[in-house]
Amino acid sequence: MEVLFCISSLVAILSTVMVITRLNPVHALLYLVVSFMSVAMIFLSLGAPFMAVLEVIVYAGAIIVLFIFVTMMLNLGKETAEQERNWLKPRVWVGPSLLAAVLLAEMIILLTKGQPGSMQVTVVDPKKVALSLYGEYIIALELVGFLMIAGIVGAAHIGKHRKKTFHRFLEDEAETEQQLKADYHDVHTG
Amino acid sequence: MNELELQALLPFMVLAASSLVVILLIAFRLSHTVIQISGFMMMCLTVICMWLVRDTLPREIPPLLVIDGFAAFTTGLIVFVVLAVGLFSYIYFEEREENPKEYYILLFLATLGAAVLTVSKHFISLFIGLEILSISLYGLIGYLRNRNNAVEAGLKYLMLAALTSAFLLFGMALVYLETGSMDFAVIGRHVQSSGFSVLMILGIGILLVAVGFKLAFVPFHLWAADVYQGAPPPVTAFIATASKIGVFSVLLRFGQSLGLQNEQLLQGIFSFIAIASMIVGNLLALRQQNIKRLLAYSSIAHFGYLLVAFLPGNDNGETAALFYLLSYSVTLLCAFGIITIMSGTKQDAESVSFYQGLFWKQPILAVVLSVAMLSLAGIPLTAGFPAKFMVLASGVEDSRWIPVLVLVATSVIGLYYYLRVIGILFEKPEEETAATKVLHPFFYYATYTSLTVLMLAICWLGLFPGNVIDGIRQLLQLE
Repeated sequence: MEVLFCISSLVAILSTVMVITRLNPVHALLYLVVSFMSVAMIFLSLGAPFMAVLEVIVYAGAIIVLFIFVTMMLNLGKETAEQERNWLKPRVWVGPSLLAAVLLAEMIILLTKGQPGSMQVTVVDPKKVALSLYGEYIIALELVGFLMIAGIVGAAHIGKHRKKTFHRFLEDEAETEQQLKADYHDVHTG
Repeated sequence: MNELELQALLPFMVLAASSLVVILLIAFRLSHTVIQISGFMMMCLTVICMWLVRDTLPREIPPLLVIDGFAAFTTGLIVFVVLAVGLFSYIYFEEREENPKEYYILLFLATLGAAVLTVSKHFISLFIGLEILSISLYGLIGYLRNRNNAVEAGLKYLMLAALTSAFLLFGMALVYLETGSMDFAVIGRHVQSSGFSVLMILGIGILLVAVGFKLAFVPFHLWAADVYQGAPPPVTAFIATASKIGVFSVLLRFGQSLGLQNEQLLQGIFSFIAIASMIVGNLLALRQQNIKRLLAYSSIAHFGYLLVAFLPGNDNGETAALFYLLSYSVTLLCAFGIITIMSGTKQDAESVSFYQGLFWKQPILAVVLSVAMLSLAGIPLTAGFPAKFMVLASGVEDSRWIPVLVLVATSVIGLYYYLRVIGILFEKPEEETAATKVLHPFFYYATYTSLTVLMLAICWLGLFPGNVIDGIRQLLQLE
């Protein structure tokens, strides 16, 4: 168990260092997926299977796939096909796949002969997680809800598109008109 | 959770509900005025609830929160600040290019975050409160998203705040590794029985990076001037007061329950940060021509002074710190209120030359700003004087001579730039400008009146600090 924990920690550190040193965002994201999976593996080896599954589903699954899609979408254009061919060179995917293979091997070992080793492991099942989240730490959970509202409202405001209500040929005209109006109002007090 | 605990939580629930109320009002497409007034009412309701539940305090709400007299004072101060900031926001945002409605959601959420910080006695609530505060602040700082300054300030704050959150988590993890708990009281007991280990000091040192960033202590102060300049003036007032009150009060509580001040090395670190903040803040402000940046550097120096009251780690120091926070927030609200009311639609009234000869055009505003500057400088008869005096007294009593001497010396340097601003107010105005029409007369005069009231409060705190100090001591249950 302890060896498995150390190996997955090592993979986590390696992949995270690769994330912050890659220049191409897509390469970095591939390593980020591996990083999340190794964290999941750490959770698993410490006896928290539920957290491990959540880590994979929420981070590696949902968020990163979204990231990768968005980064790829943003680069749509003539060169997209060319770029994609560049991205799929072995040099790019061999690193992350090797690290992922190490994690896979670890998981197979853990599942086939998972007797507790020298480390003291208490298994935390979903029921325990739920009881502590919705019992003891209910206030923290509610506050995290407000944290989400703050994030959503802030992002929605910053990312909002300006409404265009008039034809684009008239845009310049409208802008000068607005400017005149603003000049007229100018200052509250002077 | 029993009935009494729910009662003690009531003000915080109302505070949390106020942002939801604003969301609902926006959903029903109600106007800015309606939102502004109902926000004001919700904040008043919070204060009333605090008054109603005062008998149930102090009460612990295990495992995360404790609501006591200290928390009641700091939360009350934060809500009071938000009342004033909300009022200033109306005339500022009504005339700006952005839809002002979402602003109030973020403002009330940030208030909730700061309030949670004041009541937290556990790392989890500390972290969540700090995150609510900073995530709302990203949106607030960059609210006028078509202005380059605002976007730059928002981005700087975002990067640095995210980095310091990582530091905070790492520090917490180290402390947890050493003590096996995230509760301040349990950590304090562990420290009492087995002292500060190397790992523990390392963890607390890393925690201090995050706290130092939020309070803009000196090695972590680089963001302050740019963010103060780029953010809209009401938001700057909020950052300079409410957000710092929240973080400072959690630092006080953490220090109190761990006895941080008794450890030789940590004491040295705190003294160093205090001295560096006082010196660097005052020196950087000396030649500043932009009043927002000037106030940013002055606030760095003021939190250096405040740390001098934190150093002794006794009850007198705590009382001094709370009184200092009160007088400092009232004073800064005055100063930023003036900047808000003077700002034009295109540009904020930032440059000092903008205020040249203000006394001959707008005597009342000029007097309010002068009183605020005098109070920041710590001149007698204003709130700054008894506040600084109490901080000095608590430092002297504990014989912290070096920080005290630096405090006195840097206060003299500070006098120069505060008086320079006042001097500019009374110069001859450059040219006669035609008086422009007053927009939104109701809110304009409301702001005007509130500024006058704040100025009177500064003078009252300066003349009769005794009542307030007694009140604070009663809340802290020292008598």
